[in-house]
Amino acid sequence: MLKIFAATAKELLLLRRDRTGLLVLFLMPAILVVLITLVQENVMELTGQKKTQVLFLDLDQGDLGISLQNHLSATNLDLVLWDKGQKNIAVIQAAVTGGGYQVGVVIPKGASARFLEETARLFQQGNGKGTPREMAATSVQLFVDPGIMAGLRSGVIAQLEMALTTIAMEAKLTRLGAVLTQTMAQAGVPPERSPLAGDKLPALFRQPLLDLQENQGESEAIGVSLYKPVQQNVPAWALFGMFFTAIPIAGSILQERNSGIWIRLTSLPVSPLVLFTGKAVAYMGVCLCQFLLIALIGAFLFPSLGLPAFTVSMHPAAVLLTVVLSSLAACGYGILLGLACKSYEQASTLGSTTVVAAAALGGVMVPVYAMPQMMQQISIISPLNWGLTAFQDLLLRGYSLSAILDDLSRLLLFFVVTVFLSWKLAGIRK
Amino acid sequence: MDQTAAMTPGNPCLLEPGLNCVVSARSLVKQYKNSDRPALNDFSLEVQQGEFFGLLGPNGAGKTTVISILTGLFPADSGSVRIGGRSFQEREHEIKQILGLVPQDIGLYDTLTARENLNFFGKLCGLSAQKLAERIQQGLEFARLTEHAHHQVATFSTGMKRRLNLAVGLLNGPQLLVLDEPCVGIDAQSRHLIHEQLKEINRQGTTILYTTHYIEEAQELCSRIGIIDNGRLVEQGNPAALLQQSGIRNLEELFLHLTGKELRDT
Repeated sequence: MLKIFAATAKELLLLRRDRTGLLVLFLMPAILVVLITLVQENVMELTGQKKTQVLFLDLDQGDLGISLQNHLSATNLDLVLWDKGQKNIAVIQAAVTGGGYQVGVVIPKGASARFLEETARLFQQGNGKGTPREMAATSVQLFVDPGIMAGLRSGVIAQLEMALTTIAMEAKLTRLGAVLTQTMAQAGVPPERSPLAGDKLPALFRQPLLDLQENQGESEAIGVSLYKPVQQNVPAWALFGMFFTAIPIAGSILQERNSGIWIRLTSLPVSPLVLFTGKAVAYMGVCLCQFLLIALIGAFLFPSLGLPAFTVSMHPAAVLLTVVLSSLAACGYGILLGLACKSYEQASTLGSTTVVAAAALGGVMVPVYAMPQMMQQISIISPLNWGLTAFQDLLLRGYSLSAILDDLSRLLLFFVVTVFLSWKLAGIRK
Repeated sequence: MDQTAAMTPGNPCLLEPGLNCVVSARSLVKQYKNSDRPALNDFSLEVQQGEFFGLLGPNGAGKTTVISILTGLFPADSGSVRIGGRSFQEREHEIKQILGLVPQDIGLYDTLTARENLNFFGKLCGLSAQKLAERIQQGLEFARLTEHAHHQVATFSTGMKRRLNLAVGLLNGPQLLVLDEPCVGIDAQSRHLIHEQLKEINRQGTTILYTTHYIEEAQELCSRIGIIDNGRLVEQGNPAALLQQSGIRNLEELFLHLTGKELRDT
């Protein structure tokens, strides 16, 4: 045990003296988490998870525009009313296609009058005389930024169509009510004996008979907030930073191997496992500090950048255990890399490539569910996926420790296997 | 205080009872994977207790391979090695406690100070806190680095590094000290100091196995030398006796006579 303490203290001293290396270890994930989260906030807008800006130009200035505005205001669309003096549709089109706004809606001049006219004609046609001819629909012009994602485009169009359908339905019901009242009066039925009050039809038909109830499973019950990039990115990029410590660990081993230190160490009465443990404990400390730094950035810096704050409200002990086991897995990989490679150049190239690949596969950059089916299946081999899944289960889904035991076991097993292989290689590398 | 005396062995159980042979290597064969000829080919050597044995040989003769096998860094493909009567397969830990190795490449952490290096390697030797403190102080005095104890090794000259490299090898008070070209690239003053200290360590009972390129160094230090070439021990004995037997004037000529004058650029 004293030898492990000695090896750990030596590693910490070496780390303390390598201030540039240490700075990179902390700065790199810190910068990445801030940048990526800011960028993903924009992605949230593009995917419709934040309010989408809709440029609204009403050239008609009639009831149709007012109704549409009222309906859209109740959705997650952020209406921006265009200057009423501006009558040029090409300008609004340019503003949208140029990326300034995601969607543009234009109510053409005379649209309200045409709409009322067509509604009235609908009932004139419905009196059973002759074949009904197709109605001329009143068009509302729509412009969509070609840069937005297909999902957002469909969502916005669906919301606009829903608003227009509702407006059309209300107009038809109002008209139907008027026709009904008139018909009843002509038939000599007093209004109080009429089975339906024509003027109350629109309000009556607005009553919902079917409802869609969305559930968030366990997370809703315990009050965990819905998906946020902050809750996803803080652990994801902290994990990325942790696994990048594999490169300095490998570097420290290669420095020992390429000098007389390794020969000296192997001639001493000490097992390589003791030396590996010393390295793992020291760098695990680094990983814990990395996570703490990134969590503090998430909790305190993000709100000042207009982002939501990172919170660990549930199961902090389980979060800590996940950080510890992820760190051990990263350390084990670094030790293996240091013994498998022949030079620092080889280790840094192989290390950075494999960590970036494992991060991409593991869902750090793109969520696993957004990957093709085949990649989703492959992603389960990435240790970053195990760590990230555990973090998401704890921080987003609100699960407890028992739900993440499988991922934690995988991380621990990965550490044991990498250290075992390193121990075997240490015998060969003597 | 005599610092050299302080660094000499404290462990009396080097040899198994009834033995006088500290190093016994028999018929060692070693073939590296990327080489077409064996590094060691039926190599045998015996070093007696208290001897200062110099192993001489041209580049690529197999000196470092011999040192590596004798210190347990890797095993030979065939043959047997016993240190103080013990084999590495059975009693590696015991052998490592009585063995000191001074590697050819500097085995020190550049960004640690001299004291921190001694402290770390001393702890790995399993020294108690009190013994370790004594040994660190003795090591610094031995290497004449007391004033530089808190300076990082990176700031040291090659001579200072070599002296500290030797002091670390002596931390556990080894009974067998193995040195692989410990004076390469250093100034005359540091070399002289190291030579004097090694002679004193040997006088006080430590068996020394020393490899070198420098023939005059071997002549000055060693009670017995062995000349290795192409993985075999081609000659061994007391330097003066070897010269007398061969009728050759000096050791360098004898060395060239035995190993040839072709360049060894391996």
